[in-house]
Amino acid sequence: MERTVTVVPEDGLHARPASQFVETANSFDADVQLGRADEDDLVPAASMLAVTGLGVGHGESVRLVAEGDDAEAALDALEDILSTPEAKQ
Amino acid sequence: MTERTLSGIGVTPLSGVGTVVWYRPDADLPEPPAPEDVDGDAELARFEDARAAAEDELEAERERTAERVGEEEAAVFDAHVQFLNDPQITDGVTDAIEGGLPAEHAVQETFSEFVEQFENMGGRMGERADDLRDVRDRLVRVLSDGERVDLSSLPEGSVVVAERLTPSDTAQLDPERVAGFVTVTGGRTSHAAIFARSLALPAIVGVGEELQSVEDGTEVVVDGESGDLVVDPTDERKEAAAAAAEVDIRHESVETADGVDIEVAANIGTLADLGPAVDRGADGVGLFRTEFLFLDRESPPDEDEQYEAYVEALESFDGGRVVVRTLDIGGDKPVPYLDLPDEENPFLGERGIRRSLGPDADLFETQVRALLRAAASADGANLSVMLPLVSTVEELRAGRERFESVAADLDSEGVENELPEFGIMVETPAAAFMADRFAPHVDFFSIGTNDLAQYVMAAERGNERVSDLGDYRQPAVLRAIDATVSATEGEDCWVGMCGEMAGDPDLTELLVGLGLDELSMSAVTVPQVKAAVAETDTADARELAERVLQADTKAEVAEILTLDQ
Repeated sequence: MERTVTVVPEDGLHARPASQFVETANSFDADVQLGRADEDDLVPAASMLAVTGLGVGHGESVRLVAEGDDAEAALDALEDILSTPEAKQ
Repeated sequence: MTERTLSGIGVTPLSGVGTVVWYRPDADLPEPPAPEDVDGDAELARFEDARAAAEDELEAERERTAERVGEEEAAVFDAHVQFLNDPQITDGVTDAIEGGLPAEHAVQETFSEFVEQFENMGGRMGERADDLRDVRDRLVRVLSDGERVDLSSLPEGSVVVAERLTPSDTAQLDPERVAGFVTVTGGRTSHAAIFARSLALPAIVGVGEELQSVEDGTEVVVDGESGDLVVDPTDERKEAAAAAAEVDIRHESVETADGVDIEVAANIGTLADLGPAVDRGADGVGLFRTEFLFLDRESPPDEDEQYEAYVEALESFDGGRVVVRTLDIGGDKPVPYLDLPDEENPFLGERGIRRSLGPDADLFETQVRALLRAAASADGANLSVMLPLVSTVEELRAGRERFESVAADLDSEGVENELPEFGIMVETPAAAFMADRFAPHVDFFSIGTNDLAQYVMAAERGNERVSDLGDYRQPAVLRAIDATVSATEGEDCWVGMCGEMAGDPDLTELLVGLGLDELSMSAVTVPQVKAAVAETDTADARELAERVLQADTKAEVAEILTLDQ
């Protein structure tokens, strides 16, 4: 299951949004990976290092790929974070 | 031994005397033993234990930082926990241990790889490299168990000296035991500097590499005002610094030697500043910069959130006045969710009351509702409200009418409210010139000296090339203050001052002499200013003010003030 999402938070996938993204990815059983929409490489969404290491900025598109029982719910939750202007405090 | 002095940037106007404890979290580890001498299973278990212990520490420090400094500063610890538990890290460390390294070396090696990667990416990724270093050093400290300096249990009177101090480091410091800290790097707005101010710790940052020459166990005096670090100080120097450090904190209000009450209050931005303000003996709040409730977030605080903030400030002081300044947005204070215009001269553009009566009318109304409700709360009688950057009588009238019409709305909704004491900031030359016309319409003035000096002298704040001009000891600035106070003669209008000038204890006598009734400053200097008020005789102070007002130049002003000390 996969989905392409545009990153809305001003900071991109950095600082607090990244932190929330990783926390959320870890809260599901599904194995989630992400990468830039125009690249084939994927990294684990559950890794703060990998997620911040991607250096995805505001306005870029990312591809989310999930496998597992709750894959759809995981994608919904992660898409929500990526499309909210700033992660809720 | 001869005394020598290194200089850096002083970040708190406090002095401390103590013994240097070097904190070197990234010192090299000893050579690892040969791989065949390493018990892999035991090392893995040590790593797991250290990881759990580090996570516990991080949770505790997160709590403490949220309480002491603020939620914003605390959030960094969430990221640290995630790095600590990152699968790439744990896999890397496990592999390295299985390859024959002891746990601390495995941690060092694994993290260092990622630190380098992030550093090479540059820009904002560099900040993440700092976080990773921070987590690495924490794990190595836990693993080396007592062989490294533990910031949370330093001997009393330690002066912590370090290359830099991270949020994790400062969160561990016990301000009761630490006499101050000094760092090689850092500026006035670095994390360590903000932390030092919020805890009233003497501190100097940005001393430079010369600091490396100061050895562990050396006696030093940390002068957080001048930025001087005095190494191997003479006895006289130590006594003077110790005397300066032992300013009594007076929780009761203070009067001059001849019995005139002077209110000494604190400036606050967020609710986290309330604790230090109370601890340092402030009588109340002389300036609540409410725009800080609006910064660093994605949407404005609603009416209830603001109401609660104002009530909390009121409840923090036993009968002390709390002066709330309405939104002062614009100028140098951008707010992400407001569409602020790109102005060529933001300090001369649409800011303060100009926005509240214009594009931010809705935000202003919400704030006014919250303030009117807070004025009807249990301690509401102590609430005062003032408008920022007023330059015309029309603005004052329009602002006041907003309060009255919103009060009428609340009445018709059946919501309890009261009109609070009402005043304006005097920070434009226009307000100082027109003070006699403003005075009959207000209960008080509060002179904002930072902006007043900037506008009177046409010298931008923070621009070092003109900092001599923008100095509040310039005769023109002193005359503007004098004109403002004099304009209230015969009116029922008290005059306060907020801004750096009010917190300078060397100027307290002059300010009393100029006729100010209230002084409001950063909490740190409240005890010094209270002490200075108690020593002041108002007749002498008036005579001093008269002489100072005759000065032609700032140098003459400074000379008169020095001779008077």
